[in-house]
Amino acid sequence: MFKKVLIANRGEIALRINRACHELGIATVAIFSEADRLSLHVRHADEAFCVGPGPVVRSYLNIPNIISAALISGCDAIHPGYGFLAENARFAEIAADHGLVFIGPSPAVINAMGDKATARRLMDEAGIPTTPGSGIVASVDEARSIAEKIGYPVLLKATAGGGGKGMREVHVPGDLATAYATAQAEAEASFKDGRLYVEKLIVNPRHIEVQVLADAHGGVVHLGERDCSVQKPSHQKLIEEAPAAELDPGLRTRLHEIATNATRAVRYTNAGTLEFLVSGDDVYFMEMNTRIQVEHPVTELIYGVDLVKEQIRIAAGEALGFTQDDLHPHGHAIEVRVNAEDPDNNFAPAAGTLSTVVFPGGPGIRVDTHVYGGAVVPPFYDSMLAKIIAVGRTRESAILRMERALGETRIEGVKTTVDFCRELLGEPRFRAGGVGVGWLPEFLARRAQPV
Amino acid sequence: MTEDVIAARARALAGALAEAGFARLRVRDRETEIEVRRANHAAPARVAPAPAEPPRTAGERAPGERMADVVASDVVGIVRLARPAIFEGQELDEDRELAYVETLGIRNPVRSRGSGRVVAVFVTEGQPVEYGQALFAIDR
Repeated sequence: MFKKVLIANRGEIALRINRACHELGIATVAIFSEADRLSLHVRHADEAFCVGPGPVVRSYLNIPNIISAALISGCDAIHPGYGFLAENARFAEIAADHGLVFIGPSPAVINAMGDKATARRLMDEAGIPTTPGSGIVASVDEARSIAEKIGYPVLLKATAGGGGKGMREVHVPGDLATAYATAQAEAEASFKDGRLYVEKLIVNPRHIEVQVLADAHGGVVHLGERDCSVQKPSHQKLIEEAPAAELDPGLRTRLHEIATNATRAVRYTNAGTLEFLVSGDDVYFMEMNTRIQVEHPVTELIYGVDLVKEQIRIAAGEALGFTQDDLHPHGHAIEVRVNAEDPDNNFAPAAGTLSTVVFPGGPGIRVDTHVYGGAVVPPFYDSMLAKIIAVGRTRESAILRMERALGETRIEGVKTTVDFCRELLGEPRFRAGGVGVGWLPEFLARRAQPV
Repeated sequence: MTEDVIAARARALAGALAEAGFARLRVRDRETEIEVRRANHAAPARVAPAPAEPPRTAGERAPGERMADVVASDVVGIVRLARPAIFEGQELDEDRELAYVETLGIRNPVRSRGSGRVVAVFVTEGQPVEYGQALFAIDR
C-alpha cells in the first residue's frame, strides 16, 4: 500500500480523497492555488504546496509544479479526483515517468475513452450498442449526408468534448451548417480539437450510468446504476439517484451486463462509469468516464462500498476484496448539488464570501463539502459548494429526508441551488420517477413564463 | 485577484515580515503589488493594486524606515543557491542570479531583478519551496 498520496485537486473531492487516505493510514499532500490558501482541503492534508496563482492553467493544471510537489514531498502516488487533470493521459504518463502511480486507469485507456469517436468505435467492435452515427466527419457536407442517412434530429458532438461543450442539436437540415460552425468553434476553443462526429439525437432519453470497478487481476464488478436525468439545459447534472426508479428489471440487468462487458473489452482498471441513454427498451452507450464521479456517494450509500478507497487499493495492485455475488444494494439514495449559482438567471455562477453556512445532519444524511462560514468562493473554479446526499429504505423516504435536509440548509452570501432543488423534489412528475433529460429544461421554460 | 485572495497573500507575507524584522515588505508580480507594513503605528496591512500605487523611489522613504523587495519562487521545486552563496548583507551592484529552483530536472533561475543589498536569505541549500514562497529580500 502507498505511504503518501498527493491529491491533485481542490474542493470537496480533495477532502473526500484525503479522508479515504487517512482511513487507510496513508499520509496526504494537498496542492492549492493562491486563491485557495485558506481552503479546508489545505488544512486537512498532512502537507500542502501552493502550485500557482488562482487561474487553473497556472495552478491546478500546472503539471510540472504538481509533479514536482509530489516528488519533493516523497509521494508514491497521485489521486487526480475529477475534472482538472483526471482524464489527462499525458499527466498520467508524466507521473509514471517520474515513478508515481496514477490512481486511475492506464494512459492508453484514458486516451481511447477520452476521444469520443474512438470510444464509440471500440464499443461498436465489442458489440456494445451505440447510437446510430458516424466517425469523425471531414466537412459539413459529410455531416449533412450522414444526417440524411440516419434521419433528423441529429446531434453534432466534439470528439474531445465533455460537459456539453462543443455539442449542438440539429432538428432541421437548414440549421446544420450554422450548428456545425458553432460546435466546431466551441470545441476548438475549449479543447483545442475541433473535430466533430454526428449521431442520432434520441429525444428525451433518460441518462442512466453504471458504476464499475476493475482490478489489475481480471476482477470486474458493477455497483449498479445511477439515474442522472435531472440536468440543466447546459447538460450539467443537478440531482442524481441510485438505483434508477421505474426501470424494468430486465433492462436493468441488461445495462449491468453491457457495462461489465464493455469494461472487460477495453481492459479497464480502476473505478469507471459507463454512461447510457435509455429510451423505452433501447440502450445506447454514450461515453465512459475514466475517473471517480461527482455523484459517486449515492452508489456508496446503497452498496456500502467506499469507491475512493477501492480506487486506491486497485492502483496499489490489490485484488478486489469482493465478487459480484457479495454486492447487494440496500435502499435508495439521492444527491442534490448545492451550487453557487442563480437558478432564476440561467444558473449564472456567483463568487463572493459565504456569510452563513449551515448544513443539515441527522439520520441518513451525508454532506460532502469544502466550504464553511466566512469561506470565500473564488471566481476561478466550478461553482459546486456541496453535495447533500440522503439515503432511505425507499425512494419516497429518501426524497422526504432530502426535503427535510434542504430545509435545514442555510447558505447566505451567494445565491445557491438549494431552494430550487427543493422545489424540484416537490414536483409531481419528479416524484413519479423516471423523468427524461428534457424534463428540467422544459420545467424551467414553463417556470419562466409569466402566469 | 480578488481582495480576499490579496488579503490571504498579505497575511502570508506578514509572517515573513515578522521573521525578518523589516518595517515593510513589498512583493510584485504581473498582476498585483502587495505591501505589508509592521503595525507599530497600528495600521492594518495595506493592500494596493499595482496601478494605484507606483513603486516609491528611495527618496520618498520615511526616515528610519527600511524597504525591501521580496524575491519569491514562481515554481515548486528544490532551491539550489548560487556559488559562492549569497549572504545577508551582500551588496549587489547589478542584476544577478541568486539561486535556481529545480523542477523536474529543469533549472528555473531566480534573479535579483536589479541591484541592492541582500537583507534576508529565507531558504537554505536543497530546501523544497512552493509557488510564491519568499526566497530573498533585497533592499533597493
